[in-house]
Amino acid sequence: MILLKLIKKFGKINSIVLFICILLLLLEFVGHRHGEFKIEEFLFFPALFGYISCIVIFKVGVALRSIFMRDEDYYD
Amino acid sequence: MINSLPPGFIMFIGAFLIPFLPKLGRQIYMIFLVLLSAFFLFNGFGTHLTINVLDYNFIINHSDNLSLPFAIVFHIAAFITIIYGAHKDDWKENVAVISYAGAAIAALHAGDLFTLFFWWEATAFTSVFLVLGGNTTRAYRAAFRYIVIQVGSGMFLLAGAVLFLYSNGNALLGQMSIDDTSGLLIFLAFGIKAAFPFLNGWLQDTYPEASEVGTVALSSFTTKLAIYALARSFAGTDILIYIGALMTFFPIFFAVIENDLRRVLAYSLNNQLGFMVVAVGIGTELAINGAAAHAFAHIIYKGLLFMSMGAVLYRAGTTKASELGGLYKYMPFTTIFCIIGAMSISAFPLFSGFVAKSLIMSSLGGMGMVLIYFILFFASAGVLEHSGIKIPYFAFFAHERKNKVKEAPINMLIAMGIAAFLCIAIGVFPKYLYQILPYAVEYQPYTLDHVISQLQLLVFAIIAFLFLVKFKLYPSEIRSTVLNSDWFYRKMLPGIGKPLFKKIGLLTDSLYKNLGLSFKQVLSKSYKFSNLSYIKVTTPSFAGTILISILFIMLVIVLV
Repeated sequence: MILLKLIKKFGKINSIVLFICILLLLLEFVGHRHGEFKIEEFLFFPALFGYISCIVIFKVGVALRSIFMRDEDYYD
Repeated sequence: MINSLPPGFIMFIGAFLIPFLPKLGRQIYMIFLVLLSAFFLFNGFGTHLTINVLDYNFIINHSDNLSLPFAIVFHIAAFITIIYGAHKDDWKENVAVISYAGAAIAALHAGDLFTLFFWWEATAFTSVFLVLGGNTTRAYRAAFRYIVIQVGSGMFLLAGAVLFLYSNGNALLGQMSIDDTSGLLIFLAFGIKAAFPFLNGWLQDTYPEASEVGTVALSSFTTKLAIYALARSFAGTDILIYIGALMTFFPIFFAVIENDLRRVLAYSLNNQLGFMVVAVGIGTELAINGAAAHAFAHIIYKGLLFMSMGAVLYRAGTTKASELGGLYKYMPFTTIFCIIGAMSISAFPLFSGFVAKSLIMSSLGGMGMVLIYFILFFASAGVLEHSGIKIPYFAFFAHERKNKVKEAPINMLIAMGIAAFLCIAIGVFPKYLYQILPYAVEYQPYTLDHVISQLQLLVFAIIAFLFLVKFKLYPSEIRSTVLNSDWFYRKMLPGIGKPLFKKIGLLTDSLYKNLGLSFKQVLSKSYKFSNLSYIKVTTPSFAGTILISILFIMLVIVLV
């Protein structure tokens, strides 16, 4: 019941992606995940890196709007 | 003799027959030209044709393990582009596409700097007609800027080649150093076409202004030819690693705020070139393999993405994110193909981007370059954000659409289908791609480490995006222009220069007019089949080109 409520709250697609996320985190415990560098081998490192990167890119992008954005006919 | 001609040459020459053929005959003839050109690839490695003029050996046809993967994928791209454009009855565009592809393929087989220069300029003069094919005032203006910059790159190459010949006694296209003036000039020439930081403005400026077919052709050849040239002459040049890292990093943010989806793809193209430039900078066998593999996969998936946006432009009349959305109902096949392209560029396992990018990331790991590695890791999340999610999301989903549109024409769907098939085939069977790479390297991309690491990165970036949309934090797209490095010559220089050099301006104006007039006279006598708008743009372009040429010849004389 709780699961159904959660799915309803987040939407179907979000729930599926969330489920895959959990699955990928669990796969960490199957064996030791080697990385090119030591820091990459930290638990859940790529997951955290991906999540934070996306937020950072979005935040910086929005902040840059005030500097680099002009009217559509700026050059015309 | 005929056997020893470089691949691509037959396409370049054969293009002149195209205007005289009917529509269907033209398409068949063009495909025949591509297949015939591909046949020349079977000549094997080595120097096949050298022409001696005035004691100088022009190496017209030299092929080796580096030129082969590029030549193969250039042929594939030409083939797909022809099918993609088959719905249009436009012989000018057909001539431009086939001669441009031919020139780029022939350039790959140049063995010396002067032969390369010839084809380098040929790609510029043929491709400018693709930008003009956009048929809008903006496209005409962009074409003018494009030809001046492209020819400018050629002039750097010519100046470098002359100096190189003067100091070395030969002008062979081999390993060079940026410590010499000649090497530096050639490096700059390659850098302009490879869209290095601050030299990249032309790419985002012009590619989105071409027609739906023109952009697909443009995205395939010029920049990858530059990557090939860099790999040929500047492999292992350290500064390329940092230049490439910057190229992967900055376009991400611009792509996030850009509204025109084809321009987003142009930023993304710049970012992808960055990965290849880093690989060339590392210069190990694994890295050069990575650069070649990435160029190979990239041409196909980037072409696929441009094709899907071209189909949207053709049917919906725009690629502005602020005016699109909900197209998945009306264009289901295009949506699926676009998503396959998006998953490939994002480097999902089982797609072509993954097997190519892994080579570059592994070669960075082998060099112990932590910072660059994580910049590229960050850039991978960025690629997913703007090309993997933004493009399909804003074009096909985002919100409901009121006006019905038709699915893309069948020829477009076939072309996209072929590209999509190749994206998956390369991803599932990477060994066939690895076999044609410059060096024999045993490499296994599908290790548990690679797959889990990449999937975690991508899926968590997706969930971050979904949360931003769910909680309405992701801002809606705004109709706008995003400033890029072309601002310097489109706004800043005219802003300073006009009042300051008014008198000089008057002088150059009269020179411009005179040159333009004389050129117009020549054209009007011999160019009956062209429409006036082409002349209007090409006139100042050629005048500008001649001015640049004079300046560079003066530069060479001073330096020598």
